[in-house]
Formats: sequence, structure tokens, C-alpha cells
Amino acid sequence: MKKNLLRNGAICAGVAAMMLTGCSSASSDSQTTAAVSSAEETEAGNAAEETASEAAADGEKITLTFWCHQNEPWIKAYEAMADRFEEANPEYEVKVESYPFNVYNDKIQTALTAGTAGPDIIAVWGGMAPSFIKSDALSEVPEEMAKQLDEDYMQPTTGIYKKEGKYYGVPMEYNLEYGGMIVNKKLFDEAGLSYPTTWEELRETSKKVAKKNGDLVEMKGFEMIDSDALICNYLAMILQQGGQYLTEDGSVDFATPEGIKAMNEILSMVQDGEDDLQNLTEGEYEFNDVYQDKGYMSSVGSWAIGEGTDSYGLTYGTDFEYVKVPQYGSQMGFASETGWGLLVPKNGAHVDDAWKYVEFFSQPENLVQHNIACSQLPPRKSMLDNEVYKEAMPQVTFLLDILPSGQWMGPYNTSDMRDVFNQMFIDLCQTDAPDVEQALKDASAEITANCRISYEN
Amino acid sequence: MKNNKFVAAVLLPSFLFLFIFVIFPVIYGLGISLYDYNPANSKNVFLGAENYVRLLQDATFWKAVKNTFFFCVVAVVLNIAITLFLAELISHIRSGKIRVLFRAVLFIPCIAPMIGTSMIWKYGIVGTDGGLLNQILIFLGKGPKNWYLTEMPLMWIIIIYTLWADIGYNVILFTAGLSNIPKAFEEAAAIDGAGPLRRFFLVKLPLLGRTFAFVSIMTMANYFQMFAQFRVLAPKGGMHDSAMVLTNYIYRTSFQSFDMGYGAAIATGLFIIVFIVAMIQNQLMRVEWSYE
Repeated sequence: MKKNLLRNGAICAGVAAMMLTGCSSASSDSQTTAAVSSAEETEAGNAAEETASEAAADGEKITLTFWCHQNEPWIKAYEAMADRFEEANPEYEVKVESYPFNVYNDKIQTALTAGTAGPDIIAVWGGMAPSFIKSDALSEVPEEMAKQLDEDYMQPTTGIYKKEGKYYGVPMEYNLEYGGMIVNKKLFDEAGLSYPTTWEELRETSKKVAKKNGDLVEMKGFEMIDSDALICNYLAMILQQGGQYLTEDGSVDFATPEGIKAMNEILSMVQDGEDDLQNLTEGEYEFNDVYQDKGYMSSVGSWAIGEGTDSYGLTYGTDFEYVKVPQYGSQMGFASETGWGLLVPKNGAHVDDAWKYVEFFSQPENLVQHNIACSQLPPRKSMLDNEVYKEAMPQVTFLLDILPSGQWMGPYNTSDMRDVFNQMFIDLCQTDAPDVEQALKDASAEITANCRISYEN
Repeated sequence: MKNNKFVAAVLLPSFLFLFIFVIFPVIYGLGISLYDYNPANSKNVFLGAENYVRLLQDATFWKAVKNTFFFCVVAVVLNIAITLFLAELISHIRSGKIRVLFRAVLFIPCIAPMIGTSMIWKYGIVGTDGGLLNQILIFLGKGPKNWYLTEMPLMWIIIIYTLWADIGYNVILFTAGLSNIPKAFEEAAAIDGAGPLRRFFLVKLPLLGRTFAFVSIMTMANYFQMFAQFRVLAPKGGMHDSAMVLTNYIYRTSFQSFDMGYGAAIATGLFIIVFIVAMIQNQLMRVEWSYE
């Protein structure tokens, strides 16, 4: 009996073990490599550096590996930057490697874990950056560049990259999900409507054109309810009323009079059938509806212009345009989270050379080309009057004027923050006569307790 | 002695494979569950049992346990009932070619990668705008519904998807099991006056014991680790975590929040659950007979 039990126990443990292995196999690879001590890493790094120098002395090229996520116009821009760098520095070769976004962060985590042979430079989304910055796997930004980050970069662009007074990443863009909207020019022309210029006009037009059927708004008016745009528009609406959601100790408090008023305004958009929760629940961007003739206006960052021309094959100026979102309150204000930036892992084979590349990338004359190619906003104050940018991107120059009015979203993991906020919003929409103030209080408390980044700026 | 050496030599590669890819990761996983673990850190803080204390107090974990059990029990029971029924039907088809055709048709969804078919279901069947379910509702004169805002219906959609995607494999196993039962038993029962239902439940089913035990244990173990369809159809766990299962929670904790120590603690919780369930199933389904 005892023997049988033992045998059966072993069989069951086998089945369970196979399960556990299945669930943790991805991490087990990284765990094995994590066994490499930091001393060994340094040693390996030094050895690699020496090899690089020797290679340079021998006339061989130093290869820098650049990682990015898959986005057609962006990959082209990264490759163009690599070509420019190679032209200016013939001793280097830059290899651009791209991965699907849904596995990209896992790839970065695994690469940071490896002892050597990871990428030399990594393009990273600011919302995910805290997960990597909190580790000690990144190389610190060199002093000269750090000085530039303090002096010439706008605060929202650098916030997340600073840990205990030191920088671990360099921003490539000013991430702004508020301020502009994609409008379907064809639909506006057909309806004989002009683009709204005030908030009241915006709501009026939105109500007029929207068409609801069941849970689905088949033709959407003004769209701002997706996982990116919702919180950004909400925070802007608070700040534009002269309110604030960040308290002095850095906690979040949405349950202010301005916060409650803004939330009620957004809820009324759903109640009035101007927009629905489809994109929020299905994880899609709202601007796709505008490009597919299922919506009139969608609040989104300027990067979505490229999606319209490249992914949908539409013509700017004929099919769609990018215009200013009418201001909600009496004063300009918005919150921005840190956008895409560049990291250099400590375990890269050519750390100093990688920083040389980042420095080249960040020079205004080079960065401006990248920002244009990716429909991004420039992160540096000195680029706000850049004529090359203004000439190439006339459709977004109105955003340059408002950039200095932005504040950093705060020391929070914005991906986690969104999850809490969006779920609260869905619950409010699903409840008859919701207690908005209480919901905002609960969400504020949860975000403050669970979403704050683990390191001090 | 010579024979023992040969056996050892043959078993060694398999044992090494199991040790490297199963036993070692399990032990390592148990180890890192005691740390605030981030593989990118050169030093990880030892927490002792802190992750397990947190686990016991974690409402999402208990909800995921409840959902995982609900999913497994309902889906496994339905899977076995449907596959047995289909296998019995197929075994009565006289034409060998038609039997093969039916088995092949049922097996096709098993060949397709779950992540791909889940995406097709997400947009093509469950999608709010243009999904098949909503097209049916519109045909019936109702408005489209956002299924992702529902709790139990979304879980049932995932169960139905899983059954669609997975029944082919068990149909093949049951068909093979049924074909191995000597015809004499069924014929004798028929002569004694047993009808088709009694012949199936009182004669064939008991004789199918070994196949039944294998299918139920493997399906249960397999369903405890179902992940792709949850990741696609309810990536954040659905409304109020109504479709959050342990595998998805482990993934979210380990690879989105990068809280790998805690993720390993949840995986250990899943290990213990599967161990207990497999132990109980193994005891209940012991078969001590043969056809001879």
C-alpha cells in the first residue's frame, strides 16, 4: 500500500512537475544565465571591449546591435539613422534587429539577464522602462549627456529614466497622447460639417454624427476611450480646469471637484452614445475606426498619422487630417508619460561605443530626422523651433506650442496605472447611477499603493 | 548484470533530459519563489516565505484558483462526454473511409496553433463589431453585445472554444479504445436483451476503463495549463478577473510586472494543486483487470 502510494505520488509529482516546467520554462532559461555573477559580467565586458578595440586597430568594423519593436516606418527610421552613423563613423556597423511588440519586453528582460552577447542598444517604451531601470543591468548615461538631459530635455521626457539622481536612458521623443486628433476628412466633407474648434462644438458634432446599436456605436463621434487615450485626456481635462491630481507627497488623487467633473463629462460621452467601450475591452486603438470610416474624430498622438499613410495606404489631406483637440478648460495643461527612449545594457559587448551611437542619435540634426520619419514630437527644448521639423511636419506644429505646458504624469508605472483606471471606468459605465467620487477615491488609493515605481528620482 | 548496464545506458539520456528540462527547473523555480527575484539584478533579496504569505492573502490568486477549477472541471467533463459520444457514433460507421473522414475533420482544430485559432475567435466570432455571435443576435433582431464586458458568458465562450479546439485528440483515443473491446462482450449483452444505451454504459464503458483513466488524467493536467485562449480572449483576466486563471496570472506577474519571485510562488501553488488532483484521479481510476 505504502509502496503504491509512493509510486502514485511519484507519477502525480511527474505530471505536476511537467506543468510547472511548462509554466516557468521561459523564466528558467533566464534563471540559468542569471547565475553568472556580476564579477564575471564585468570581466566578460572588459574582454569584449578589448576585442572591440583590437578589432578597430586591425581595421575590422565594430558591430553594434540595435533592438527595436516591429513598426514599419520606425524600423526604416532606425535603419536610416544606422546608415548615417556608419557614414560618419566608418569603423562601425550597426545591425537593426526588430521583434513583435507583444514579445519585445520579454526579449529585453532575457537579454538583460544574459552574461554577454545581448544587444548593445535597446529602444524601449517609457511605460515599460521602470521594469528594466529598477534592475542594475543598465549602463548609466555618461556625464556629458546627463547634463544635456537636465538642461535641454523637457521634464516629461526624462522623468522615468532617472533613478536616484542618475539617468539610465535617453528619450527619443516627447510622447503626447493628448492635443491632436485624427479626423476623417471624407466623412466631414460628406456631412457638410467643419472641424470643431471649441469643446462645446466638439460634443455637439460628436452627438450629431454618432449612431448606436446595442452595445456598439456603429458610427463614432469623438473617440478617446482606448487604453492609451482615456487617461491622458482625463488628466488633461483636470489640469485644464486648474486642478491637479498629484499631491505634494506624490500620491494620486482623482477625487477632486475637477476630477469628478472631468469623469462625468467622459461618462456622458458613453451615455450619449458618442463612443463605446469596444476598443477599451478589445485592446485596440480608437483611431483605427476613423481610418476605417467608422468614426469621425479620434484623440491620439501624432505617431498615428504614419499608421494612416503607411498601414492603411490613405492620403493625408484627402482622406484624413490631424487637427487640434479643442481645449476642455480655460488654461492649457496636460500630463505626459515618458515615451520611447534608448537604453544601453551593462552586459553589452561595446558599452562605450553604444553610448557614442546614442549621443549621435540624440544630436538635434539627427534626432529631428528620426522624429520626422516616425511622426514623433521632439523631446529637446532646442528643437521646438527647428525649421526642418516645422517644414516637414506642418500638420503637428500646433503641438510644439503646447509642449512646454505639459507636466510629467508622475512616478508611476503607467501601464499598471492604466489597468486600474480603465477597469474603474468600465465599472462606472456598467453601473446605473454610479458613485463617481467613491470610484475615483478607490482608484486613486489603489494606484498610489500598487503602481508607484520602486525607485526614487 | 550485463542487462542492467544496457538498461541503464538506454535510460540515461532520457533521465538526463528529464533532469535538465523538468526536475532542475522545478527545483530552481521553488528556489526563486523564496526571493524578490529579477534575473537582471546581480543580487536578489532573500524573502523566505514572504511570497507565500502574500499568496495566501492575494484575492486575485484565490479567484484564479476558483476559475481554474471551474474551467477544468466543466471543460474536462464536457470534453469527455462529447468525445465519448462522438467516438461511439464514429465506431458505428461501417465505411472505413467515412470513419477516417470524420476523425480527420474533428482533428483539424487540434493541428492549428491555439494562439492563431484564438485570434480568429477573438475577432471573427466574439468580436463586438462583426463577430459571428453578434451577427446572430442582429439576425434575431437584437443589438450587438460586447462580450468582453460579461463575466460568466465570456468564461463559457472560452470553454466552448477549448472544446472546439481540443476534442479531436480524445475522439481518436476513445475510438481506438472502443475498437479494442472484443465484439463478443457487446454481442453477448445484446443476446441477453440489453439495449444500445445499457450496452454502452454497462458493458463498453467499464471495459474502456484504461483509456478513460488515461484520457481524463491527461486532459485534466492539460487543461490546468491552458493559457493561449485566456491570453487572447481575456488578457487582463476579463471583467473583475472573472476569466483569470492561474497560468495567465503567472504570466502577468512574471513577465509583465517582472515580479518573478512571486510568479514562481504562484507556479508552486499550481504545482501543488495539480499534484493533489492527479493523485486523487490516479487513486480513483485504478484499473486492475485485462481482457484475458
